[in-house]
Amino acid sequence: MAEKVPVLSVQDVHKQFGDTPVLNGVSLDLFRGDIKVVIGPSGGGKSTLLHCINFLVKMDAGNIYLNDTRIDQSRKRELYAYRQKVGMIFQDFNLFDHLDALHNVMIGLVQVRKLPRSEARQRAEAELERVGLKDHMAKYPAELSGGQKQRVSIARALAMEPEVMLLDEPTSALDPELIGEVHEVIRAMAALGMTMLLVTHEIGFASTLAKEIYFMDGGRILEQGPPQKILFDAEQARTREFCSKIGRLNENSD
Amino acid sequence: MIEELLFIRQEVAPELIAGLWMSIQLIIPSAVCGLLIGIVIGTLRVYGSPGLKGFAGIYVLFFRGFPLLVQLYLWYFGLPRIGIYLSPFAASVIGFSLCSGAYQSEYIRGALQSIRKGQLLAAYSIGFSHTRAIFSILLPQAVRRALPGCGNELIYLIKYSSLAYMVTCIELTGKGSILANFHFKYLEIFIIVGAIYLLLVSVVSVGLNYLEDRIAVPGFDRPKI
Ligand SMILES: Nc1ncnc2c1ncn2[C@@H]1O[C@H](COP(=O)(O)OP(=O)(O)OP(=O)(O)O)[C@@H](O)[C@H]1O
Ligand SMILES: [Mg+2]
Repeated sequence: MAEKVPVLSVQDVHKQFGDTPVLNGVSLDLFRGDIKVVIGPSGGGKSTLLHCINFLVKMDAGNIYLNDTRIDQSRKRELYAYRQKVGMIFQDFNLFDHLDALHNVMIGLVQVRKLPRSEARQRAEAELERVGLKDHMAKYPAELSGGQKQRVSIARALAMEPEVMLLDEPTSALDPELIGEVHEVIRAMAALGMTMLLVTHEIGFASTLAKEIYFMDGGRILEQGPPQKILFDAEQARTREFCSKIGRLNENSD
Repeated sequence: MIEELLFIRQEVAPELIAGLWMSIQLIIPSAVCGLLIGIVIGTLRVYGSPGLKGFAGIYVLFFRGFPLLVQLYLWYFGLPRIGIYLSPFAASVIGFSLCSGAYQSEYIRGALQSIRKGQLLAAYSIGFSHTRAIFSILLPQAVRRALPGCGNELIYLIKYSSLAYMVTCIELTGKGSILANFHFKYLEIFIIVGAIYLLLVSVVSVGLNYLEDRIAVPGFDRPKI
């Protein structure tokens, strides 16, 4: 029986920076196990949307629901609990620079979850093993490659046992040879049924995972639909134009 | 020559050692309090609420702006006017701590501002509160970055602790002056006094280098060439 209530529901989010509107009423729903991908030109508001969903940026209007509960960001405890449930992966990793890989993953378990250190360590080790970094646990961010850093950051988010993952161009800061290892980890999360909202320009990868693609431009979701439709048979001229461009780009880079 | 050495050993050394001991008693609490004040004020200046930010800004303005000697005079000679009597020692430690705190806070502020915003966002994203993120994520990085500057301030403090003499707290420089005036041997005694400060500064520098290496982690260390 399909669930009727979305895990994460984003309703009519508006945001402007100064006089510049960046989000003009964005709504979307993620049901359990959904993988939805957001594409769109640079400056279209994709990062801002994910930041708003995690309340890392204060939205001007709109609502976020987790399992049908509206999140009130002025209630701090609720907000902190919500953020643990919604993992966030950043384009530039944002690992804690003064901690090694293991402690990057442990710190949330110890300080936020209040787990005993030994238990937190075990959990962190298991998460790092899951992303293939068993042999790099004692390395500091300055000693890791980009792909390794991004995998640590995924392990760090997963350790909090999120119900949803938001990924903001997780591979766009990586060399082409490192993209694969991160994609593999994302694929493994998908296989385990993780609900994900993924911003990416890796359109080939996205279309093999996504149930639905959102095309975002000018702070709006202009069009949405299954990958094949958005990529090859979009209704809007703007979507077709964008997809043909990134299609060509991806072909060239292969 | 032998006479000189004997004189130094018998008349000068015990007095200067007593002075040095007093200096150390002034420097250590002032350094510790100064650093703590610096961390608090520096953090408030970057991450405080608007009111606290304003308070911290005014703190730095005054304690960095008033000459230290004027501050000491205020604590020791000024406060009795409103019924507060501080010992020379207390007035000195308070004066040094507050002034040192103002300077230290600038190093901490600079270090905090140099940390990328993403560190804070990442901490929030796994459920950290604002305060916890500052204490667990930002300050451990900021302190590492600020350490060379903070150490520099500590070395200044060692030397400006000699101002305690002006509010009748007789430390190393004070003892030296008294001896020099009494025996009329300015050159000899002040060379010895200067050498003692130099020694103190050297010991502290070595300690600071050691500390810097101890808390260094890859990405927060001195480039090794
Ligand atoms: N903190 C901010 N202050 C002011 N303007 C901002 C801020 N953050 C983003 N913007 C602006 O908002 C718009 C949308 O930015 P956003 O980063 O959300 O775009 P994006 O779709 O993620 O682009 P990209 O693909 O380059 O990551 C841009 O015009 C950007 O300049
Ligand atoms: Mg972006």
